[in-house]
Amino acid sequence: MDARSSGTLGGLGGPPDQIYMITGLRSSAAHSGSVDGAGRSDGRVADNGIEVEDLVRQFKNGPRAVDGISLEVKPGEIYGFLGPNGAGKSTTVHMLTTLLPPTAGVARVAGFDVATEGPLVRRVLGAALQEAALDPHLTGDEHMRLQTALHGLDHDDRRTRGRELIERVGLSDAADRKVGGYSGGMKRRLDLALALVHRPRVLFLDEPTTGLDPQSRSALWEEVTRLSKEDGVTVFLTTQYLEEADQLAERVGIIDAGKIVAEGTPAALKAEIGRPSVEVVPRDPAKAEQSAAILGRFGRPVPAAGEALGVRLSEGIDELVGIVRAFDEAEIELASLVLNEPTLDDVFLARTGHHLEGDEGAGDSGEMSLPDQAPAG
Amino acid sequence: MNEVTGEGRRPGDSYLPAALGVCWRYLHNLYTRPAQFIPSLLFPLFFLAAFAGGLSVVADSPGFDYYDYTAFQFCFVLIQASALAGVFAGFSIAADFELGMGRRMMLATPNRSAIVVGYAVGAASRLGLTWVVVTGVALLAGMSVGGGPVDLAGMYSLALLGNVAALLFSAGIALRFRSLQAGPLMQMPIFILLFLAPVYVPQALLTGWIEPAASVNPVTAILNAARSLLAGEPTGILAAYAVAFGLIALLALWAMSGLRRAEVAG
Repeated sequence: MDARSSGTLGGLGGPPDQIYMITGLRSSAAHSGSVDGAGRSDGRVADNGIEVEDLVRQFKNGPRAVDGISLEVKPGEIYGFLGPNGAGKSTTVHMLTTLLPPTAGVARVAGFDVATEGPLVRRVLGAALQEAALDPHLTGDEHMRLQTALHGLDHDDRRTRGRELIERVGLSDAADRKVGGYSGGMKRRLDLALALVHRPRVLFLDEPTTGLDPQSRSALWEEVTRLSKEDGVTVFLTTQYLEEADQLAERVGIIDAGKIVAEGTPAALKAEIGRPSVEVVPRDPAKAEQSAAILGRFGRPVPAAGEALGVRLSEGIDELVGIVRAFDEAEIELASLVLNEPTLDDVFLARTGHHLEGDEGAGDSGEMSLPDQAPAG
Repeated sequence: MNEVTGEGRRPGDSYLPAALGVCWRYLHNLYTRPAQFIPSLLFPLFFLAAFAGGLSVVADSPGFDYYDYTAFQFCFVLIQASALAGVFAGFSIAADFELGMGRRMMLATPNRSAIVVGYAVGAASRLGLTWVVVTGVALLAGMSVGGGPVDLAGMYSLALLGNVAALLFSAGIALRFRSLQAGPLMQMPIFILLFLAPVYVPQALLTGWIEPAASVNPVTAILNAARSLLAGEPTGILAAYAVAFGLIALLALWAMSGLRRAEVAG
């Protein structure tokens, strides 16, 4: 069992009946009105949340990259947006960060409409996008100087804020080096620091750990968690890594082909799937039907990748011995037998009929290696 | 101001700092990368040497009434160099969008027109050194100056307006295509306009198709006025400023609509 479901990371595990339900947008107050000194429109209670309703983005002569998604992220929450490549994660982020206008639907970030109040939205959000857009000819310090200027920080604040963030992401020693010589991890950390210069209330991280080594990934997770817990920053994190969503996000939205197919806490989503599943691959493909019949005695069939046959165990893990014995008695040799504890990939599989891409070995599966010619068991 | 969230500023508060930030980066990258800066400085010098040196005999043509051929060519090279400085800034905008920095700026700048203004200020700022070098070389080549300080200020300000107009034109292209491949689209129209003006001889000596082309070319008014200022005999100054400001107004709309296109394209 992972840290999240055992409650050691914020105690966010919960029964399936606690799955968050989309209830539509909260009633924000009127949209019109002047902007006060705090950057808010009159009569509006701006918080750090994100509200999205029926958001659509259709590209010219193309499919709907985002097809009517609705979601709500609570202030201070870390929301994981999980999906395979091309599912619509980045397009969603681009719309929420005002980089791309929605084709239809409504989205508010910190109470501001992304379509009509772009300048106010940009004032309160920070973003580190998939490709860290950095100038190889500038140093880390110079990037800070540029970013603080773009955000209009007070002159006195610029240097201290830049130093503080450079130190926080562990780049003090490299701050005066040109970014062209930074490693991928250093660029990611600088990108995160740049996203934080203006003390954003909402932070968008688009696949922030793609290509990072485990140590850099872990450090980034730590910092994101700190931002949420200590500074109350709302974090919207897209990822294709199940482990990342599982470890970091308090709630997860799973997107596929532009639609949200599941949403809830990782623990609740996995609990929804319930019992573990077993996947077998008979060595002789001609015995697939007979194998499926055997598996059917132990639970409900579930989709499995490739030639594998899957079953959700009715009585839980104890049935594994019975399965092995049954195949042994039927003299069916197995090429592989895999026990899967429920993962977010199972949730994805159950909802879409296919696996997530780019997530090899991230789940809690235990594979039994079978000797080449030995019968199962 | 809220220390945690950074509230307390209006989007407009960051306009000038953002524009200056964009300008600072543009100039920083320009002057720390000689490979980028030196060719843009040598280009006008080459034209000055080729035109003023190689074609000086043109001044002996009947009806050529300007006082000094080097000064005659200097005005063209000054305006050309200023306009090309604006075009080169357009190249930088396109490169930034192609390489992702444009997106960073679009994301971080509450009021995005500050980005174009920043490049415009940068393109204008780089003119200082270009003017010093081009003017210095022209003086060394024997150019005599007929006008006084006010005349010269008028001439340089016309060159500055040409720079702003060229930058806005190039920015409009760069923001529409967001790729360096659009470079020829920025450069060619400016070149054509410049060379459809009276480059080698006064307008009165032009014949054939070039004569009507030059007479409707807005660069002609600016170039003629600049030459008259350098000679100390100002003529057509108001018309030249009106043309320059008119161009800037139109091209500002062009650049801003390009910015809207870039926003829509994401």
